[in-house]
Amino acid sequence: MKNIEVNALSKNFKDLTAVDKVSFDVNKSEIFGFLGPNGAGKTTTISMLCTLLKPSTGTALVGGYDIISDPGNVRREIGIVFQDTTLDERLTARENLTFHGELYGMPRAEIGERADALLARVGLTARAGDPVAVFSGGMRRRLELARGLMHKPAVLFLDEPTIGLDPQSRRNLWDYARSLRDSEGVTIFLSTHYMDEAEACDRIAVIDYGEIIALDTPAAHKSALGGDVVSVTGPDLEVLSSEIAQTFDIDPRIENEKVEFNIQQGANFIPTLLDKLEQSVDSVSLRNPTLDDVFVSLTGHQIRDGDISTTEKMRNVQRTGFGRRH
Amino acid sequence: MDIPLLGKNARVSDKKIAGLHFLNVVRVVWLREILIYFRDRPRVISAFMMPIVMLILFGEGLGGIIELPGISYRQFIFPGMVAMIVLMNSIFAGVTIVTDRQFGFLREMLVAPVSRTAIAVAKIFGGATIALINGVVLFAFAPLMGIDISFLIVVKLMGLILLVGFMLTGIGVSIGSRLRTPESFQMLSQAIIFPAMFLSGVFFPVNNTAKWLDFFVQFNPITYAVAPIREIGLGNELEKVSPEVAASLINIQAFGHTFTILEELGVVVGFSLLMLWFAVRGVRNAS
Repeated sequence: MKNIEVNALSKNFKDLTAVDKVSFDVNKSEIFGFLGPNGAGKTTTISMLCTLLKPSTGTALVGGYDIISDPGNVRREIGIVFQDTTLDERLTARENLTFHGELYGMPRAEIGERADALLARVGLTARAGDPVAVFSGGMRRRLELARGLMHKPAVLFLDEPTIGLDPQSRRNLWDYARSLRDSEGVTIFLSTHYMDEAEACDRIAVIDYGEIIALDTPAAHKSALGGDVVSVTGPDLEVLSSEIAQTFDIDPRIENEKVEFNIQQGANFIPTLLDKLEQSVDSVSLRNPTLDDVFVSLTGHQIRDGDISTTEKMRNVQRTGFGRRH
Repeated sequence: MDIPLLGKNARVSDKKIAGLHFLNVVRVVWLREILIYFRDRPRVISAFMMPIVMLILFGEGLGGIIELPGISYRQFIFPGMVAMIVLMNSIFAGVTIVTDRQFGFLREMLVAPVSRTAIAVAKIFGGATIALINGVVLFAFAPLMGIDISFLIVVKLMGLILLVGFMLTGIGVSIGSRLRTPESFQMLSQAIIFPAMFLSGVFFPVNNTAKWLDFFVQFNPITYAVAPIREIGLGNELEKVSPEVAASLINIQAFGHTFTILEELGVVVGFSLLMLWFAVRGVRNAS
């Protein structure tokens, strides 16, 4: 069963195409990852799926309802943790939850019960009565996650959920996300530019410059690369690279001061490699492919934290410009 | 026969649920406005500071200089002070929608299955309530201004403040929903509040002003909000002077017509609805 069906969704801001005819489906009880650099169109896509932003063309069904013709029902079905905090700092942790429950029309008795249960689950019971203003970044994130779950949404959107979290909080959030999927059947749609995070998703869509360039399970993404990654260093990388290319009929790339290539059963290949190479070699290393490698091979560039692409720069201009957002 | 009936009933109860949900959203969003007002200590303290400053400025300062027929300036300005307090507090209340946007909380409300109209109405009622709270504080100073104020007058004034507060917060929310920073809201609201205040009869009877000023006064919706507040607020004092003098103090002559209190209130209600419409549109486009 599908919980999100996206059909040729696009968003243009003047000259900039932030999202370009994106289509994909997300199954029920699946953790679906949107992987891409800053400015790739992740947040814009989420904003459209959450009915906060009108698509330029195309549409999508979320929880079975059309985001354009039936936004009210879509809103009822979804919970969201935004990239930047959307809590009211002047309200207490518990008040933020109860206010949310009221907005979603939950019965009064249920609101209190659920708020307390969720506060306990994210470990904030002792701080329930404190104003959010005194909370740390990690506590705010946990509270936002609890709030997003207040009204028992069928689909939970997490936009860069672990940015600014310490490793322990990140792990906890992931454990919690998995338990939500397994015990309550919640569909989770998350965007990230962290590779290790994408690794934990059931399926990943790689997005770059507003287009989905690949969509598969992490394992399938990696096996599509064609085997293990062998990295060779030596005094002259260019010469080394071309010799490898000629001798073994493979297509190496020079990356981070290393010659790298993919090959099946890399461990067995290394003796042959060293045997046949005439160029001097300083070191050889072997590793299983990571999603980093997948991303590089798909897009031709690396994904880096804090790396702002031209698209993002243009988008920032858009945001600070005339009354437009996202 | 049963099936269509069931269907019809289901629709009716759906509507009923939607209506109840609308009211509940208005209630909680309004409640939050009031809650965060009382948690903002400087704003609460200023509710007590402003009347004291005004009392000294208008009561002792200008009160000794300006002379009016029949009543003292101190008495005349008291309802003006009420109007000023309402004006400043109501329009300024629109800032919460700017800060909600800035801190992201507006998105929390907009992504919820709630009517945008409910959010706008609640924000506007919130501002009107805060204006009322500030106005009531001011009533305590009435005896110091030489005003004979009865319980009935207080009740009528409270109703008036809510109505005028609704109109003025409507202006605040209309502006606030279209701006991105509290700073720009501050500047723009000041730029509106000051001229609107001077050209509305807060400080002097509007019938005494120069012809060219009259032009602005009669097009200023706030003129029609100040006049009823003065008429009701001075109620007991006006009975002590001749009808001609009373009329010269409170009447608005605009577009070649002398407005009655009901007509003035009609203008206020009409302008309130217009502002509500602008505010709802603003909130709807705010995402």
